[in-house]
Amino acid sequence: MKTANTPARIRSFLSSIPKHVVLILFSVVALYPVYYMFVTAFKTRAGWLHDQFGLPVPFTFQNIIDAMNRGNIPLWFGNSLVVTFASLVVSTIVSALAAYALARFHFVGRSFYYNSMIGLMVIPPAVLILPLFVLMVNIGLINTLPSVIIIYSGLVIPFSIYLLVSFFKSLPGELFDAAAIDGCSNLEIFFRITLPLSTPAVVTLVVVNALFVWNELFVALVFLQNESVKTLMPGLTLFKGHFTNNEPLIMAGSLIATIPMVLLYLFGQRLFVEGLVAGAVK
Amino acid sequence: MPNPPAQPKIRRRNPLEPYLYLAPATLFIVIVFVYPIIEIFHSSLLQNTASGIKTIGLANYRLVVQDPVFLDALGNNGKLLLSVPIMTVLALMIAILLFENTRGRIIYRGIIFLPYILAIPVVGQTFVYLLGLNGILNTLLRGAGLGFLTVDWLGSPTWVIPSISLVIIYREMGFGVVLFLARLMSLEKETLEAAAIDGANWWQKHVYVTLPQMSAVIEFFVVVELITMLSWVFSYVFTMTGGGPGFASTVMEFYIWEHAFAFRSPGIASALAVFLLLITSVLIALQFRVRRTSLEEVDR
Amino acid sequence: MKSGLRVISILVILSLALVACGASTSGSSAQKVNLTFWWWAESDAPGADAWMTETVAAYEQLHPNISIDVVPQSTDTLISAFQSAVTAKSGPDMASQWATGPTLGFVWQDAIAPISDYVPASEISNWLNTNENMYQGKLWGMPMYLIGIDVMYNKTLFAQAGITPPASGRWTWDEFQAACATLKAAGITPWVEGDKDGYGGAWFFANVGIQSLDSTDDLRQAVIGNKSFTDPHYTGWYQSLDDMVKKGYFNQDIMSLDLNTSSQAFGQGKGAMSFGTDGMIKQAITDLGAGNVGVMQTPLLGTGKLASVGNATQSTTFFITKWSKHPQEAANFLAFMHTPDRLASWYKHTGVVPADSRFDRSVVTDPVLKQMMTWETTGPQVWLENYLPGEIDTNADLAAGQMIFSQSGSPTDVANLWERAAETWRNQHPDELTNWQNWK
Repeated sequence: MKTANTPARIRSFLSSIPKHVVLILFSVVALYPVYYMFVTAFKTRAGWLHDQFGLPVPFTFQNIIDAMNRGNIPLWFGNSLVVTFASLVVSTIVSALAAYALARFHFVGRSFYYNSMIGLMVIPPAVLILPLFVLMVNIGLINTLPSVIIIYSGLVIPFSIYLLVSFFKSLPGELFDAAAIDGCSNLEIFFRITLPLSTPAVVTLVVVNALFVWNELFVALVFLQNESVKTLMPGLTLFKGHFTNNEPLIMAGSLIATIPMVLLYLFGQRLFVEGLVAGAVK
Repeated sequence: MPNPPAQPKIRRRNPLEPYLYLAPATLFIVIVFVYPIIEIFHSSLLQNTASGIKTIGLANYRLVVQDPVFLDALGNNGKLLLSVPIMTVLALMIAILLFENTRGRIIYRGIIFLPYILAIPVVGQTFVYLLGLNGILNTLLRGAGLGFLTVDWLGSPTWVIPSISLVIIYREMGFGVVLFLARLMSLEKETLEAAAIDGANWWQKHVYVTLPQMSAVIEFFVVVELITMLSWVFSYVFTMTGGGPGFASTVMEFYIWEHAFAFRSPGIASALAVFLLLITSVLIALQFRVRRTSLEEVDR
Repeated sequence: MKSGLRVISILVILSLALVACGASTSGSSAQKVNLTFWWWAESDAPGADAWMTETVAAYEQLHPNISIDVVPQSTDTLISAFQSAVTAKSGPDMASQWATGPTLGFVWQDAIAPISDYVPASEISNWLNTNENMYQGKLWGMPMYLIGIDVMYNKTLFAQAGITPPASGRWTWDEFQAACATLKAAGITPWVEGDKDGYGGAWFFANVGIQSLDSTDDLRQAVIGNKSFTDPHYTGWYQSLDDMVKKGYFNQDIMSLDLNTSSQAFGQGKGAMSFGTDGMIKQAITDLGAGNVGVMQTPLLGTGKLASVGNATQSTTFFITKWSKHPQEAANFLAFMHTPDRLASWYKHTGVVPADSRFDRSVVTDPVLKQMMTWETTGPQVWLENYLPGEIDTNADLAAGQMIFSQSGSPTDVANLWERAAETWRNQHPDELTNWQNWK
């Protein structure tokens, strides 16, 4: 639109309006389900039947309280925490060691191993699940938290190695040279130099893997069938199946389950973004 | 710019040392990946009976291939693949819009990315209500005078897979936006501005200048999402439809789970798993093209 | 980055506190016996959950060294969840499964300890319908309640459309179709049902499909492969169901509702007829008012001998698992449910008649519920769904109904589905097939 005398600033503002409209539209769509979950969780059942979409009138905390007391949400929450924490600790240490070797040593099989990680990253868990189930039954670990800790660790190791190799490679070689000349062993270099310098990469890796493990349903559903060991996501499924007609209660349970990741996201959005983007953008 | 010096070799006192560092990871990989993959080939040739396990050759594969539900499941995964172009285009569009507007960019990005971090069971359950006969979608349609378009979205054999696609796009699009935006922000501004001065409009500018520079990351996203449509959609189906109505939303992962755990047919489940693995391998091979695939590249 | 670490550590600390709170409330004392019970009944008999909570409290008070953990099960994963436990060889001490076919299927997998080994015969003789779970001279599970499933109708809506209910308590199929047409013309949904989890269709199988058969052995012949399910004798009735769907006689959202939601919809006046258990009908009477609900038997379509039998069944069987470490304690708890106080409380909570001859039926006063009780206790009773292996029920029975209701398959497709499901089951489980061949 050629308006010779209109300042560029106003022109650019006007042309940016449709763009903002589109962005606002997408933002509303993105937020609506969260809004819906939130308001439903605080409605009474009668209030929900009366008005599905509006704000909660009357407002009630009862669903949150019920969700904590009926069903086993705090127990499952705790299990999810333990499983997430343990899987992350194990997988990070194991992956860091492996990535260190891949990044800094030259040895037979190095390329093959690294390339295998890329392939393994996207194997469907459905392919692995039945043999793993039989294995866990046979070694007596079925229905225990260690079974899923082992499996989750294994599942995230390829991606973790891939990410860390990338990062280790970016560290300046001179540091290692200097340390080696000073007589440090490779292990000392790993702990004293590589790891401390890798804190940003490790943190983003931990955040991305935590997201995966916390939100995971399929593996937990299969390996943790006893009530006392269930994690939050399969627990929610059981919760929903039992309280089928009490939508506010179900949404309250979902809300509780999703709060940790949302909080983490609100405070550390950048971590998620960096972690997921790493390795994709050159 | 001269080539950077090659990475110096680490002095090794023990030629086995690297393997020691790899050992713990290798143990996990063998347990969680190698053993199961070998085992599904083996189990697919077996049949469990009370009098022992018999080897029955390829009989399980014959049963699978003749099973219409198997073809349905493949077809459903195939239909899900169709949502990849849609989410790619949407993500590109949003990313470009965000790139062009610095005002509020972080906030928009934060909001649009939020669905990706919500758990699938949570999102799925919410959408079960939103897509219900009296849910928000149908209510809006009725309000707009389009009441004849209302459908029981998740209960209709025709619309159930598109509805699940909608939920998948809802979550995965944020990932694309973040990815594409990161790439855009690393592009050289001069090229874009040059195109603007040359009189190209918004559309031409992006199609001819921006997109070609993003081809690598677009390829990457497309391949990752294609793989996701085959390998990581169990939770959506389990939470929202249980494979139904009938078998209209059964996907390969779900069918494998049903045979393994509900129907107690491990032989068939294994044969199905072999099929899924072979199909995914094609995409995994593609994936090598789009990631840094050799250590030498990484060494650079 | 630092803020990221800080956030992570705060979350971890908060969560550990939460876990600590949870952990501190579960005490453990020496010699305490913990029993886990996978429980299902609320869908059949609304109010059962409250009764179970009360029962557990009462029992734990009487036996302070026993603590019972009741885990409610979902309808759509009832069989598969327990199947997974059986494959894992670990799980609850007590569980619930639907009677006969599903329960015996697990007996044959050596997953169940016969309750007759732990409860004296004198007590068992008071339980009703135990024949549904007898095998090789042992009783494998305990019945708790008896339900029949009949057609509940809304008298007000009937009057509105000018429909007269059948004097004999049972319409012919033609009369039924005519009534549906009239209701639809009057703007009333003739039949409201829920088939989201497949059980709406299963109820049609057990109430309409049964009418062409002559005996449960008739069905067994097709299960074991001597006859084919594609024979109209077994699946021809789906054509009539398909006709009804095509004429729009069912609620539009049938595929989004499960049975409980749809029966509530009936109670809200959203349809003129629906299938109902005693418990659902009692609930409908509460919702619609006592004079407004009537009950009739399933309209007559078929001419087999089973067209005239009742369909009362214990529906759900409670049993002790083979791997339980406390079978006797489990049996004691189960038997406790049949003590007089518990039986009376069960009826008070659910309105469903308990499966015990010691229960005084004169407390049933509502004429509609009395009518149902008469049908349930007169003559032979067969709930046909009990006579299918669990897998065929899921893969064929449930899926077939869904295909018809969602119009994603024709009656011919459905017949082929049944036969294929049966064939796959026979191929995959030759040992189970042998059991079925030798049964009866």
